[in-house]
Amino acid sequence: MSVEASGGTTGAPSSSHRLGLLDSITAFSIDEGYAEASRRRATPETTAEPRRPSPGVTGLLVVAIFGLLLAIAAVQNSRNAVSAATDREDLVAQIRARSAAVAATRDRIQSTSAEVALLESQFFAATSEGQSVTDRLTRLGVSTGSLPVEGPGVRVVVDDAPNAATAQQEVLDKDLQKLVNGLWEAGAEAIAINGQRLTNLSAIRHAGSAITVNYRSLARPYVVTVIGDPDSIPARFVETDHGGEWLDLQATFGLQYEMTSEESLTVPAATRLDLRHATTDQTPDQAPR
Amino acid sequence: MIAALGLLVGIVVGLLLQPDVPLGLEPYLPIAVVAALDAVFGALRAFLDGIFDDKVFVVSFVSNVLIAALIVYLGDKLGVGGQLATGVIVVLGIRIFSNVAAIRRHLLHA
Repeated sequence: MSVEASGGTTGAPSSSHRLGLLDSITAFSIDEGYAEASRRRATPETTAEPRRPSPGVTGLLVVAIFGLLLAIAAVQNSRNAVSAATDREDLVAQIRARSAAVAATRDRIQSTSAEVALLESQFFAATSEGQSVTDRLTRLGVSTGSLPVEGPGVRVVVDDAPNAATAQQEVLDKDLQKLVNGLWEAGAEAIAINGQRLTNLSAIRHAGSAITVNYRSLARPYVVTVIGDPDSIPARFVETDHGGEWLDLQATFGLQYEMTSEESLTVPAATRLDLRHATTDQTPDQAPR
Repeated sequence: MIAALGLLVGIVVGLLLQPDVPLGLEPYLPIAVVAALDAVFGALRAFLDGIFDDKVFVVSFVSNVLIAALIVYLGDKLGVGGQLATGVIVVLGIRIFSNVAAIRRHLLHA
């Protein structure tokens, strides 16, 4: 106890009962084992001069272990710090890379948008070309009869004379031909007789007792639907030769003839439109011999 | 003198080998070092007091290290590992400071 007191800073008391926690920590900061060991050593040789015991091999070993621990902890700590720093640098690099990728993608979006706009304008140009082709096709279809058309026009209803006795009092195929030719001359754009569209190959013929158009027999009365200018066609029809003949027929033989202007008429497409001899340039091999 | 040599040898060996601490033991290493530091300073003070004993040193060193690590391990299991580690460090730190003060008084007589 005296030995410990000589080394203690606060003079360690024999008991720690009255001490506070912090006081007891400082009072017994040195292991009490040292004091006891020294007391045990001192007992056999009470009057021996106090020699200074120095650490032996075990002490050396323990101190070496301590140094090892110290070094390992320091190394580990610095290693962790390094790895943390590299982690942060990795993250920063990743952020930069991703930002660059985003910027690149944005650029690509812009260039792609420009490309889309260019292609769109090219597409419009292409379709305007296609539009003109379609327009031409439509015009040709209207004149050839491959397309149904509607529009203003006149409706001509012709029929035999009432109580017709002779053939001259009936509407003949050549009468209808005259009528149609006069209407074409008057500016008709599309003509149908009783729903039969007149094409450039249509024939108006007498077959037996009936008139056939497009090889279909027609029944009286003959309704001729004409698409064209409803204001000018009646006047111009009368001025043509065929129109004059029709007026003569009406006056002489009593054929019924009535022309009315219509706001909206529809003319159907021709049922069949065959090319018998003509071929296009693209298929010369299939041309018939 | 021989103790200083041992310390040097230990540090050099540690720096040369740079052994990898297992991940499970990593949190306990700093606490173990602080506990060992306390044991070493206590031994130094005992040496200066003339009451040094090899056996006591070894036992106090090992038990300090093990108990400090055990307390922190227990705290980790209970969810108060950080607080217990702080407590251990405070107590050991106070002991280290008072021991160092005694050593200083021995060496410098002040």
